[in-house]
Amino acid sequence: MSATGRWAAATMGMRNDPAVAAAVFVLWALLALFVVYPLAMLFVRVLTDHGGFTTAGLAAVLFDRHQLRAFRNSLLLALLVGSAGTVLGFLFAFTAARGRLPRGLLTAIDAAVLLPLVSPPFTTAIAMIFSFGPRGLITYDLLGLKGVTVYGLTSTLFSEVLTFFPIAYLTLRPLLAAIDSNVEGMAFSLGASRWRVFRTVTLPLTIPGLANAFLLLFAASLADFATPLILAGNNFPVLPTQAYLQITGLFDLRGGAALSFALLLPALAVFLLQRYWVSRRYYVTITGKGAGQTPFDSIAPGMRTVLLAACAVVALVVVYFYALLLYASLVVALGANHAFTLQHYRVIFTDGLKAIRDTLIIAGLAMPLGGLYGILLGYLVTKKSFAGRRTMELVSMINYALPGTIVGIAYLIAFNDPPLELTGTALIIIACYIFRYGPTGIRATVALLQQIDKSLEEASQGLGAGSGATFRRVTLPLIMPAFFAGLGVVFIRSMTAISATIFLVSISWTLITVKILENITELSLGPAAAFSVLVVAIVFVVIAIIGRVLRLFRAPGAVPMTSLLGG
Amino acid sequence: METIGVHVDGVSKRYAHRVKGEVYAARDVRLDVRPGEFLTLLGPSGCGKTTTLRMIAGYEKPDSGRVRFGGQDVTDLPANQRNIGFVFQNYALFPHLSVFENVAYGLRVRGQNDDVIRKSVGDVLTLVGLAGYEQQFSGQLSGGEQQRVALARAIVIRPRVLLFDEPLSNLDAKLRVQMRQEIRDLQRRLAITTVYVTHDQEEAMAVSDRIAVMHQGSVVQQGTAEDLYHRPASQFVAQFVGRMNLVAGRVAAIVGETVNIAALGTLISARSPPNGLAPGDPVQLIVRPEAIEVIRGDTGTLHATIVSRTFLGEKIEYLVRCEGEMLQIVRYNAGPGDLIPEGATVSLRFAADAVTVLTNTGVEGRGSE
Ligand SMILES: Nc1ncnc2c1ncn2[C@@H]1O[C@H](COP(=O)(O)OP(=O)(O)O)[C@@H](O)[C@H]1O
Ligand SMILES: [Mg+2]
Repeated sequence: MSATGRWAAATMGMRNDPAVAAAVFVLWALLALFVVYPLAMLFVRVLTDHGGFTTAGLAAVLFDRHQLRAFRNSLLLALLVGSAGTVLGFLFAFTAARGRLPRGLLTAIDAAVLLPLVSPPFTTAIAMIFSFGPRGLITYDLLGLKGVTVYGLTSTLFSEVLTFFPIAYLTLRPLLAAIDSNVEGMAFSLGASRWRVFRTVTLPLTIPGLANAFLLLFAASLADFATPLILAGNNFPVLPTQAYLQITGLFDLRGGAALSFALLLPALAVFLLQRYWVSRRYYVTITGKGAGQTPFDSIAPGMRTVLLAACAVVALVVVYFYALLLYASLVVALGANHAFTLQHYRVIFTDGLKAIRDTLIIAGLAMPLGGLYGILLGYLVTKKSFAGRRTMELVSMINYALPGTIVGIAYLIAFNDPPLELTGTALIIIACYIFRYGPTGIRATVALLQQIDKSLEEASQGLGAGSGATFRRVTLPLIMPAFFAGLGVVFIRSMTAISATIFLVSISWTLITVKILENITELSLGPAAAFSVLVVAIVFVVIAIIGRVLRLFRAPGAVPMTSLLGG
Repeated sequence: METIGVHVDGVSKRYAHRVKGEVYAARDVRLDVRPGEFLTLLGPSGCGKTTTLRMIAGYEKPDSGRVRFGGQDVTDLPANQRNIGFVFQNYALFPHLSVFENVAYGLRVRGQNDDVIRKSVGDVLTLVGLAGYEQQFSGQLSGGEQQRVALARAIVIRPRVLLFDEPLSNLDAKLRVQMRQEIRDLQRRLAITTVYVTHDQEEAMAVSDRIAVMHQGSVVQQGTAEDLYHRPASQFVAQFVGRMNLVAGRVAAIVGETVNIAALGTLISARSPPNGLAPGDPVQLIVRPEAIEVIRGDTGTLHATIVSRTFLGEKIEYLVRCEGEMLQIVRYNAGPGDLIPEGATVSLRFAADAVTVLTNTGVEGRGSE
């Protein structure tokens, strides 16, 4: 069909269906307001001065030796986190997918991997300080070291890898599970050793997934603001924290914007690589497996022990960190006075009560709206043809793909002045969450809809149902799993995110995560730990509830929500 | 390389079943595949064919029993040291490798040099009719072509034993017939001892030297296609290999090698009955549809009514009612005017050596070889 023909058909489809046209219009308006406009304002702020175009602001950042170092550090850290996290994620994914582990052990691995994914920021960072700081349990109490410093590349790297490797795990495990085990068995029967099978079959088939995992981790580390803020220290500045300090410390919004701008390029490159290069390189290996048949045993017994031991060590570190956090929330001062107390919880439920209430209100409002936004946009771009459909999908992914620092600063710039003065309101935070984390629901919806046969909807329309009725009666029930999964992710992220919203909180509306940061800077680590424990507990309860709801829809394509937290 | 036989000595394999507890996927399986022979494991889905084949391959270790290749006990040898060629139902091609590299894989593992590899792969691709496909990837090939690559990859290493697990079930009917002929021809030419698994009795009869019929984990009968068809040891085998009519009767008299059975209100004679029959014993008769002669009119001793008929060109199928029993009959079309109308009364005649007598134990399906 020619372009004009397609356009005609598309607009005709819309004219026939005012509901679709209206929905598309509203979504475009929202995307324009909350995605395109803030980003445009960021560009304007960075690239103009007194009404004229200039790169001076950007140049000032890019040629400043100190900032250049931050840029290099950011890339170095992302590179290291990407590599180490991918290796660690692969270790876990391979062990879980191939280790023939008993169910209980698999659940244990999943739980250990899930913890960092649903935690508020700073949790591993706090635990690092508790363990390896000047008065750390391990460095000071156990090893008797004095005057050690926990700040710098090593501990930032360690902490970020531990926080982000689950993303690689979630990306790689389904991929490994989907590899037809007969393909490996075939190589084995042709005389290859298990190691050779791994090297020449399993690994090459996983390379697109490894690349994808690496890029996801690279992006996550590049955007991470919380960990370096606590652990990087003065000698290892990175861009997101520099941007934050520029704005909150030096009140230099333009400089901070320019700094965040420098993040844009690598983040965009990663996003495009992932979307247009890696995703096309997946092998189709799923070829109908023998039902109930024992898969090829690709791990020798000795190797299984080694792999399990390696996973156990990492899992133990994770569990140790969280146990430490819990412990720290229940003693007077970890490292100094280990007497049991509920004082920290008393503090967070009095002084911190407003933050808790605000966070729950904001998360509670963002959750249904974000879920709705996800399935509506996902449905429209998959099932309806209208002009600019692909563009809409791409635009909807922008805030999700960009580092939070950029989004936060862009919102701050865009919504600071009339007529769109939203700073200080809850709305700005809610909007930020919807458009930043709603895309997970969009992707889940798209993935689910692509599995649903078109004939189902055609059958309904053939029976005289309009597109509204068809959506309500046929499609909606089918994509409910994506709705709940998307909604769950928005809630969890609303409870745990900080990188964007740190710029958007105000006296009227604040967040638990921001409160945790305040506590850490004031060195009240007890309340910080108590807040973190509270968030983890709330998130686990919500995951359990949504898991229960998802189980009600035993649809073949039901989306396990936790797998969506991977990014 | 010398051709060797495959011997499966009383091999068993149990699995834990969620509901039923421990179940035998294979139970005391005994097979003797002669050197160069093409043996097929035939049976319905879930009867343990794949499990047995995988134990021969070395993918599974039997709980008890031994597997020998020629004189060598390979029970404890993993698959990669048995020198076998395996062909899977889903081809299991390496998606990241070209056709050439797929076929070359086993040779590379064996450390062959590039010249040898190039020549061997070229030869074997020509043999399976895929010369010129070297640089393609599996995603670009049709099902039949993929199966040929899988076959080439299995035979290029000159395996001691060639194993197939339902290699044709992903192909359409026409291609299936063509491919099974190719597999058979290739196996003859290379004289590789072969174990082939299928649930399709026609396919089994078309390709095999001998067939072992499996049922619930056990081999219930082994023999040539003809043996199984004409001398089924049990109702299960009779039912699974070809179509049949089952008629209940009682032994009337035994005269040497011939036994007369009272059934369908008349006396039907059969040869070579099972041992130990005595007059008065209840038995089952297995009568193949093509072993019943249909004569127009009621001149004979056994009368029947045509209930329905299906004209299939070269043959005609009838369903008749005879003494309250429904019988299937297949006749070759002798020419125009051969078709008998529905409702007509006819006489039936059974050929004496086309009737198999089963004692009631055979009917239970526990017949021995
Ligand atoms: N790994 C396994 N775990 C549990 N049961 C199995 C396993 N492999 C096979 N079985 C069971 O053993 C029986 C025989 O299976 P299989 O050998 O695959 O049969 P076939 O190939 O004849 O269809 C089936 O009931 C199957 O469910
Ligand atoms: Mg099978």
